Amino acid sequence: MTDVTQIIPQAPYAFGFTEDHELARKEARRYLNEHVTREHVRAQYEDPRGFDKELYRQTLELGWLGLSVPEQYGGAGLDALHLLLLWEELGRALYPSPLFASALAVEALLRGRHEAQRGQYLPEILSGNVIATFAYAEPGGAWGSDQVSCRAEPKEGSWVLSGTKVNVPFAASAGLLIAPAIDHKGELGLFLLELPAAGIELTPEVSVDPTRRSARVELDRVKVPHGARIQGDGRAIFQRVCSLGYALLAAEMVGAAEATMLMTRDYANDRQQFGRAIGSFQAVKHPIVNAMVQIELARSLVLGAASAMSSTEAIDRPEIAEHATRMAKAFAEEALSFTVQRGVQLHGGFGFTWDCDVQLYFKRMLWTRATLGDSTEHRQALAKVLFG
Amino acid sequence: MSGHEEGEPKELAEFRAEVKAWIAANKPAKPAFKLPLSFLEVESKEQFDYLREWQRKVYDAGYLGYDVPKEYGGQGVDRARFRVVGQELARSRAPFMVNLIALQWAGPTIMTYGTEEQKKAYLQGILSAEEIWCQGFSEPGSGSDLASLQTRAVKVDGGYRVTGHKVWTTLAHFAKYMILMARTDPAASKYSGISYFLFPMETEGVDIQPLVKLSGEGGFNQIVFDDAFMPESALLGEEGQGWNIAMTTLMFERGANEGVGRERAAGFVERINTLTEVAKRQKRGGKPVSEDPVFRDRIVRAWIEAQAMALAAARSEAPQLNADRPLALPLMNKLVMSEWAQHVAELGCEMLGPEGALWVGDDHAPDGGDWPRAFMNSFGMTIGGGTSEILRNIIGERVLGLPKSK
Ligand SMILES: Cc1cc2nc3c(=O)[nH]c(=O)nc-3n(C[C@H](O)[C@H](O)[C@H](O)COP(=O)(O)OP(=O)(O)OC[C@H]3O[C@@H](n4cnc5c(N)ncnc54)[C@H](O)[C@@H]3O)c2cc1C
Repeated sequence: MTDVTQIIPQAPYAFGFTEDHELARKEARRYLNEHVTREHVRAQYEDPRGFDKELYRQTLELGWLGLSVPEQYGGAGLDALHLLLLWEELGRALYPSPLFASALAVEALLRGRHEAQRGQYLPEILSGNVIATFAYAEPGGAWGSDQVSCRAEPKEGSWVLSGTKVNVPFAASAGLLIAPAIDHKGELGLFLLELPAAGIELTPEVSVDPTRRSARVELDRVKVPHGARIQGDGRAIFQRVCSLGYALLAAEMVGAAEATMLMTRDYANDRQQFGRAIGSFQAVKHPIVNAMVQIELARSLVLGAASAMSSTEAIDRPEIAEHATRMAKAFAEEALSFTVQRGVQLHGGFGFTWDCDVQLYFKRMLWTRATLGDSTEHRQALAKVLFG
Repeated sequence: MSGHEEGEPKELAEFRAEVKAWIAANKPAKPAFKLPLSFLEVESKEQFDYLREWQRKVYDAGYLGYDVPKEYGGQGVDRARFRVVGQELARSRAPFMVNLIALQWAGPTIMTYGTEEQKKAYLQGILSAEEIWCQGFSEPGSGSDLASLQTRAVKVDGGYRVTGHKVWTTLAHFAKYMILMARTDPAASKYSGISYFLFPMETEGVDIQPLVKLSGEGGFNQIVFDDAFMPESALLGEEGQGWNIAMTTLMFERGANEGVGRERAAGFVERINTLTEVAKRQKRGGKPVSEDPVFRDRIVRAWIEAQAMALAAARSEAPQLNADRPLALPLMNKLVMSEWAQHVAELGCEMLGPEGALWVGDDHAPDGGDWPRAFMNSFGMTIGGGTSEILRNIIGERVLGLPKSK
């Protein structure tokens, strides 16, 4: 019998929440309120890169990328709760930046066994000198560690990579690309490609969410040194990178849904029709309540994911974090989808316009749903856990 | 994992292990007769006796009453142990506590508003199930609009005389006491004319008539009061304070007090275990339900939601985490849990295929017909204690600050 209580751990006592978490969260919110206004977000829609380089550098100085990276690599060494509370705030603000791209790459480097690689790249990435990204997807709806078609052949002490990567986040701004590829023995390796390089062709994609730029990357017999392969079990590292990605995106979606719900609530309080605020109509009020309820449940799953990621058991059993983060992403996606749809509808004609900020969140929802597996896909994976 | 919680202090973890072992050793065997699915459907004497015996046993073992000081028959207030006991009882699939109305909402209300004598008089009997309580709030004309209630309590020498009509009164047929809302001052405003009483049921002028539920089960009643007497000491709080006291009771009833949500949620995660067992066992089109992609998806959805509810309940231990909206979780508990239980019960029915057409009493009905029975009874929880619609109004207005619905 599968006992579901055995699959992911129960919530630990008070989630390990402390004063420090509270202070960090407040500070992040304050900073974002000041610097990442909706005007700022809209301005990045028009920006060729899609983000403000100087602001990105500043946020890295605040330690946002290295939050849970061990101190010896220049990180702050904090727990996953710190990380996900921050990402909820980033989602609220819709902070346009390559943080997500770099966070995946950092995770891949950290999980590798090669000390020198970490020492070489991590400080550069954490300081913002180099933007890094991770190519998790390939054409034809393929993504994840078991759907890699890119090839890596050994040749004269080098690796030669060929294949196509798509949806590569912020690739056009990146100086380092981590590309998964299958080697001559059929094993999955993660390869460090410095950009630009001969044989790598980048075509910017048109992203549904302009705050999340991406590119298609063609690898045509790209030659990298033998040491450019991350040491360790490539498949396992890829999976851990995905788990982190699920968690970050889930936390972001909770923040995005919260912002949208509050915007809609405020509008329902202000807008008068039939001589009263529309929020007094239950057909308006109840969907906003339903959104709030979904958001609170999603937030709870994100907190649970943070616990699972930091739990001592998860060190040896990465599936603990995988299940919890999949749950969080699956549920948060539905909460956000419901919230942005009601958000547009309940703003009426204004909600349908470019000027209404709900559209910014609507687009983020579509992008995030499509990235690293949608809720249906995550439930399918979880069903395998329950039923084989 | 099940059995321990990460970061739980050692002393608590040991207590948890002790409670778990005790329940395993003392959990009563399944009786020959049909047990009710919840405290709402206790109809027969044999059901009642069996359940009361179990509560008494848990009390005697020293596990009930970690929310009640020792001088009133409890174990001394210890929220952590209170939560552990609740969780382990929920996880063990042991029978429920029959005196639930008293344990979870009448008792805590008495703790909050009662005089020293009242606490001494009632709390121990509540814990031991010696004295069963029912709740006389709803009336034929006053359900969601509770404050419109018309039952009168007229002051007389030494007490009050009650005349009126209450409905949907769960457990009244076994109850020794009722928490009763009655109008003491018809001239006062809707809210301030109401008082709150601890009414002794065994008195003249109280006519209890059982009502039959859509499932065919009993468990609730209507009650006609005809000049029924109660002593002055039955008044809880002050005259005219009844509405405020009743709001406290409803907060408790909706699981808004710390810890309650968490123990209920533990039971829901357990319910997913049951659902997966059924999915592996039941066949549709010759194959186990657990191989059907649509049902797999729906079960996983319910699982994720159960996990979310359990985690939401755990958040009550870190109030700072909920500082943006402190009332959200307490007020949404009952709404979310009751609607989830309804969906899961329906899903269970659907998984049964043709066998889902069989009802309690048929030898081949899967799980004795409990799935359709649970589905029907699930509406008791989405209607009773404030309907889902009313709860959405309350959350919208009190938590989100939306304007009142007229
Ligand atoms: C199994 C069960 C056990 C119960 N046990 C007890 C008990 O022990 N003691 C007790 O006192 N009561 C008990 N109740 C009664 C319960 O509290 C009431 O049924 C409930 O408050 C609803 O009142 P009503 O039945 O009069 O429905 P109504 O208030 O008439 O509601 C009918 C419908 O209209 C909706 N509605 C009403 N007003 C609004 C509004 N403002 N906005 C939107 N929708 C609205 C309701 O949500 C509902 O769907 C029990 C009920 C059930 C089902």
